[in-house]
Amino acid sequence: MTNPLTPVDAALTDGRTALTESEAKTVIADRGLVTPTGELVRAPDAAVEAAERLGFPVVAKVAAPSVQHKSEWAGGVGVNVNLGDADAVRTAATQIFDAASDRDLDAAVLIEEGIDIEAGLEVIVGATRDPSFGPTVLVGLGGIAVEILQDTSHRIAPVSTATALEMTRELEASPLFDGYRGSPAVDREAVAEAIVAVGDLVAEREAIREVEINPLLARPDGAVALDALVSLDSEVHGDGDHRSGRRQNRS
Amino acid sequence: MAVQDVFDPSGIAVVGASDTPGKMGYEAVQNAIEFDGPVYPVNPSASGSVFGREFLDSVGAIDGPVDLALVCVPAPVVPSVIAECGEAGIGGAVIFAGGFAEAGADGEQLQDELVAAATEGENEVDLLGPNTSGFLVPDESLYATFATGIETVPAGNLAIVAQSGGLAYSLAFQAENRGIGVSAMVGLGNRATVGFGEAIAYFDGDDRTDAILLHVEGADDARDLLETCRAVETPVLAYNVGEEDVGDFAESHTGALTGRYELYEAGFAQYGVPTVRSTAELLDGGRALATCPRPDGPNVGVVTAQAGPGIAIADRLKAAGATLPSLDPETQAVIEDILPGITFSANPVDTGRPMPAFGDVVAAVARDDTIDIVLVYELYEGGIGYPTETLEELVSAVDKPIVFATGGPDDTLRETLPELEALGVPTYRTPEAGADAVAALVRAAKRTRAPDAVSPGAEVSR
Repeated sequence: MTNPLTPVDAALTDGRTALTESEAKTVIADRGLVTPTGELVRAPDAAVEAAERLGFPVVAKVAAPSVQHKSEWAGGVGVNVNLGDADAVRTAATQIFDAASDRDLDAAVLIEEGIDIEAGLEVIVGATRDPSFGPTVLVGLGGIAVEILQDTSHRIAPVSTATALEMTRELEASPLFDGYRGSPAVDREAVAEAIVAVGDLVAEREAIREVEINPLLARPDGAVALDALVSLDSEVHGDGDHRSGRRQNRS
Repeated sequence: MAVQDVFDPSGIAVVGASDTPGKMGYEAVQNAIEFDGPVYPVNPSASGSVFGREFLDSVGAIDGPVDLALVCVPAPVVPSVIAECGEAGIGGAVIFAGGFAEAGADGEQLQDELVAAATEGENEVDLLGPNTSGFLVPDESLYATFATGIETVPAGNLAIVAQSGGLAYSLAFQAENRGIGVSAMVGLGNRATVGFGEAIAYFDGDDRTDAILLHVEGADDARDLLETCRAVETPVLAYNVGEEDVGDFAESHTGALTGRYELYEAGFAQYGVPTVRSTAELLDGGRALATCPRPDGPNVGVVTAQAGPGIAIADRLKAAGATLPSLDPETQAVIEDILPGITFSANPVDTGRPMPAFGDVVAAVARDDTIDIVLVYELYEGGIGYPTETLEELVSAVDKPIVFATGGPDDTLRETLPELEALGVPTYRTPEAGADAVAALVRAAKRTRAPDAVSPGAEVSR
C-alpha cells in the first residue's frame, strides 16, 4: 500500500505551501472521495489524445503549484470547461501552454472528463486549522449561495458521519438536498463522508493547514470533487504540537 | 492546585501600595484589607503606613503567610516584581496594568518576559491578567481589585468568569442590582497563565459555586476551554460575543467563512455547553442551572394564570428550541376536574386567573411524565399569593426544574420571591426572563457532554 500522503511529503520537501489540484485530488481520492478521471499532459497533442481516451466533453485546467486561483489566471484561460471536440481541446491547451510560457511558468495541463454540473447540487466542503480551535470543518452551499448568503455550518473536527449529516441539515438550503421542484434528491450521506474525510485529514496531519473541496457536486448517487485545494504549513514537517500561545484581550 | 494561591490566599501583598487616595495602589489596599487575613503594603519608596499597616520595601521582607500579590505597578516593572514574588514563595499574582499583549509587538514581548519570570524561577507564580480588573470572592470579603463599590456585590453561588474585566463588572453589578449573589467574579484579561481552562477547573472544585458563567470574545485557547467545559461537573453557561467579526484570512472560502463566533457556537454545542445572547440571559439562565436539577429533556410544561404572558412565553420557548408537548390525557383529565370548562388544557395550561386551586394545576403538570421542565407564570394577587406549599412539596417530589415567573409591586415581590427561591424555585420578573432561563435549561438538556454526540435535531446557532 502506498503512503496516502506522499504528495504532501513531496510538496513539503520542495518547500511548497500548497498542492496542485491533481495532487490534492490524489490525497482526497485516497480517502474514498470520488474525483473526475483525468490526465496531466505536457503538450497540446497529448491533451487531445487524453481527451479522446476520456471521451468528450472534457475540461482543461492549468496545473502548476504556484497557480492557486486557476480561473483568474492569465486573463481567464486557466480553466476551460465543456470542450466538445479535438479542436476545442487543442485550442484550450495551447492557450494555457502559451500563457505559461509568457510567464516563464513550468505548467502542465490537466484534462478531465466533463461532469454535468446541472445534474447535481454544488456544495463546498472544507477543513481548516484554526489557531485557537485546532481542526474545524464546514459545509455550505456552493456558488453564489456561499458567497452571498454565507449559508454554512461548522464543527470542531474530527467529526462522525452522524455529526456531518446533522451539519448538512442545519443549512438553510438543506431542503435542496431532498429535491426541489423536479430536481432529484442528492446523496446527503456522500457529502457527509466528504466532511468527515477533510476533517480527518487536517486532524491527522499537522502540516495540512486547510483542505477545501469547492465545488463538491452532490448527485443522486454519490458526490464528485470537481476541484480541490490543499494548503500546507511549510514550517511544520512532522506531526508535532503546533499550538499558539495565549495572547490578548479587549477589555 | 496552584491557582488556589490566587483565588484562596492566606495573605495578600499589595505591590505598589500607596497612601494617596485615588491611586490604584491605595484603592487596592483599601479593598484588600476587607479580607480576613494579613495584608502587606509593599512600596520601597513609601514610608510610614497605610490603613494601619506598615509599608514594606519588598515582598521578600514580608514576615508571615502570603500567597497572593496584587501588582499595582506600571507594566515595564511587572516582570521583575513577579520574579521577586517567585523568590519569596508567593504563588499567585493579579496584574492590573495594561500595555502587554493587547498593545502591539513591544507589549507582546513584555508579556513573554512576564510569563518567563512567572514560570522559569524556582517557584512558579500563577498570573491573573495582565490587563485585568481583578477578581472578587464576596463570601470571603476578598476583593482583589482597585475598583470601588464592589463590596456591595452579594455572596451567592454563581461564578462569573469573563474574558473582559469590564464585562465581569457589568455582570457583577447587574447581579448586585437584582439581588443575585455570586461566588466569584473574575476578569481574565490577557490570560498570561490563568486562562479559561484553569479558572473553570478551579471553580468546578469550589463548594460555593453551583454554576459557572462565561463571557468569551475570541480567546486563543478555545480548544482547551471546550475540553475543560466538557470535563467539569458544574453546569457551565456561555455568552459568546463577536457575531459580526469575520475571518481575517481569506485565501479560500473556508478561511473566510470560518469565524470565531461560529466556531464557538458550534464548539459549545458539540461540547455540551448551553449559550445565551446577553448578559441578562447569562444571569437568568445561570440561576436556573445553579438552582435546578439537570433536566432529562427539552419538554416544557407551561402553566399560566394569565393568557397573554403564557403565549409570550410559549412563543419564545419554541423559538429557542424547546418542545411544548401535549400533556398526558390523564393529566388533562385531572386539570379538567380541577377547573371544569378551562379554556385550554393542553400546553400551555391557562387557568384564566390566579385562584386557590392554581397550585394543584401546577402539581398535575409537574407530575406528568412527558414533562421535563415546568415553567409557571402567575401575576401576584393579594389574598391568594403564591402556591408556596405546593411548590415546596413538588421540588422534592418530582426532581425536575420548576421555574417561576411573575409580576407585581416591587415591594411585594421583594418580600415574597425569596421564599420561593429558598425552596429551589428560581424566580423571574418578566415572562421573557422566565422563558430565557428555561431556554438555557433546554439547551443544557439537549447538548450532551459526550464527545461528538450531539443528538440528531439538536439545535446549533450559526
